Amino acid sequence: MAEHLIAVRSGDASRTVRLDDDGRATVEETTFTIVQAPAAGEMIATHGERVERLFVSAVGDAIWVFHDGITYELSIDEPGATVRRQHSGSLSAPMPATVVSVHARPGDAVTRGTTLIVLEAMKMELPVRAPSDGVVAAVHCAPGDLVQPGTPLIELQ
Amino acid sequence: MIRRLLVANRGEIALRVIRACRELGIQAVAIYSDADQRAAHVRAADFAVRVGPPPASESYLNIGAVIEAARSTQADAVHPGYGFLSENAAFAEACERAGLIFVGPPADAMAKMGSKIAARALMQRAGVPVVPGQTPTDQSDAGVIAAAAAVGFPVLVKASAGGGGKGMRVAADLDSLREAIPAARREASAAFGDGTLYVERRIERPRHIEVQIMGDAHGNLVHLFERECSIQRRHQKAIEESPSTALTDRLRQQMGEAAVAAARGAGYRNAGTIEFLLDGEGDSARFYFLEMNTRLQVEHGVTEAVTGTDLVRAQLQVAVGEPLPWRQDQLTQRGHAVECRVYAEDPANGFLPQAGTLRLYREPAGPGIRIDSGVEEGTDVPVQYDPMLAKLIASGDTRTAAIARASAALRRFPILGVRTNVAWLIRTLNHPEFLAGRLHTAFVDEHAGDLISSAQPTAAAMAAAAIASRDRNTPQANGTTPVSDPWSTLRGWGR
Repeated sequence: MAEHLIAVRSGDASRTVRLDDDGRATVEETTFTIVQAPAAGEMIATHGERVERLFVSAVGDAIWVFHDGITYELSIDEPGATVRRQHSGSLSAPMPATVVSVHARPGDAVTRGTTLIVLEAMKMELPVRAPSDGVVAAVHCAPGDLVQPGTPLIELQ
Repeated sequence: MIRRLLVANRGEIALRVIRACRELGIQAVAIYSDADQRAAHVRAADFAVRVGPPPASESYLNIGAVIEAARSTQADAVHPGYGFLSENAAFAEACERAGLIFVGPPADAMAKMGSKIAARALMQRAGVPVVPGQTPTDQSDAGVIAAAAAVGFPVLVKASAGGGGKGMRVAADLDSLREAIPAARREASAAFGDGTLYVERRIERPRHIEVQIMGDAHGNLVHLFERECSIQRRHQKAIEESPSTALTDRLRQQMGEAAVAAARGAGYRNAGTIEFLLDGEGDSARFYFLEMNTRLQVEHGVTEAVTGTDLVRAQLQVAVGEPLPWRQDQLTQRGHAVECRVYAEDPANGFLPQAGTLRLYREPAGPGIRIDSGVEEGTDVPVQYDPMLAKLIASGDTRTAAIARASAALRRFPILGVRTNVAWLIRTLNHPEFLAGRLHTAFVDEHAGDLISSAQPTAAAMAAAAIASRDRNTPQANGTTPVSDPWSTLRGWGR
């Protein structure tokens, strides 16, 4: 039977979850059988006769899970990655913000420090600048968009 | 009778008023900014009128546009809700001039109570206690010290000309007062160009207790008991309850009578709230007038839960000249109710407001649970307005039962996509000091460390995230539904 190892990260800590093809997930010594509830985004995790009810949604590149009154903002470490990579080559908003203007198009060559996007949050303008020289691979936002932290706004090569 | 009512508000309170209209056979007119075109309150109404772009100053606060919306839809009355134009006397007057029934107090009563100085003077004349304080005519150090002695230590020395905490100093005794005076005077001069000082009794760790009142056009005025609103962050209420654990029957009756006297002194009609600071507890506690809110409050549902009344319905009735539906002796407090305000905010980051899309939003339900909300799954929570998403009002026979209901319901209130204070509310409700009823307005700051959750994810949450990530990355080529698919619920997602 195929088994997948998935590293689930919360802040600075990462734990490995072993998945098999039958919807079983093992975290350390506990094996959960996970099924989708009738309502989208809701999951039932059982181990033995113990039942846990969870709610899951993608938020940007993160996976948010609500369990028993607490929301956890989790992410998945890419296989083989040795350091934490949030969006290799992509830039995201530091906080919920509105896109004021976009100053780059795919294919543009940019130099380090160039302002690519201007965001507005809490009545302040926040420039998003190129962290290094590169070429714009893709732009994922437009003026007026509301963006969340972790959502890639622009990708550089 | 009102035939068609314009609701000059948005979000949960607009829906609350529209529901009352439905029950009374009144047609409802919604207004909306460009940010709210698809909002729940627009879809709930019979008519909807755009009043401007997203900033509130150009839409929900635009008196001309709101009056014009009422005219174009031939509305005969306006309910202002809370916030926005609800305490704007110019708006109340504009409604009157346009021949619209304003569901609220007369404009002059609103204006009187809107000025803190005038309201304080009015309360003193009505025999309602105010926080002891005075502006000494002799502004020398000796004059200020004499005023402090008359007011009683500890005192607050502050600029007479303004607020915002500028020039404000706390002095526990004579020595610290001697030091505080020159600094307070300098700061007051610098901030307001006027070094005149005001001396006020400093109330340590007070409770915020308010009394709901309601009056009609026939001179009837009643109070509907108290709400305790001491749990506040950023000077904004987060948890309210009724009854308060601090009041004895005697004190409750005194405060109720003071609130009615205050409203009578102001020539008040319709729903209003008298806010008090409470110093101490039991029969020896002292209460002081803080201010009057000349509108329906966010937390009115707490009062409705314990008194079995419908305040919005009563508002609509007295606005057209009907008498109050209840006499004072018909009103009682029964059981206990707790309201938790669910905000899009980050408690771990100074309660910073959050905005974004509610990817998943499922309200709990059950005995004794009422939820008033203005959002749904898929709603974009805009940056322009107040970040309150919902009010969860739990009631039960006892305070313990109501708190347990609120806490259990919050644990089944998943909201994903925007950070919320749900976990913070649960921790606050279950804090030993909260459970013991030892509340005061500095509670949130004092126990901040206990209230912010830093729990590591549960094993089940980790497992669910792993399953979800596999499903995202595995194309379902054979057409079967994946075990779980949160992504299918998302609209406009994918890049």
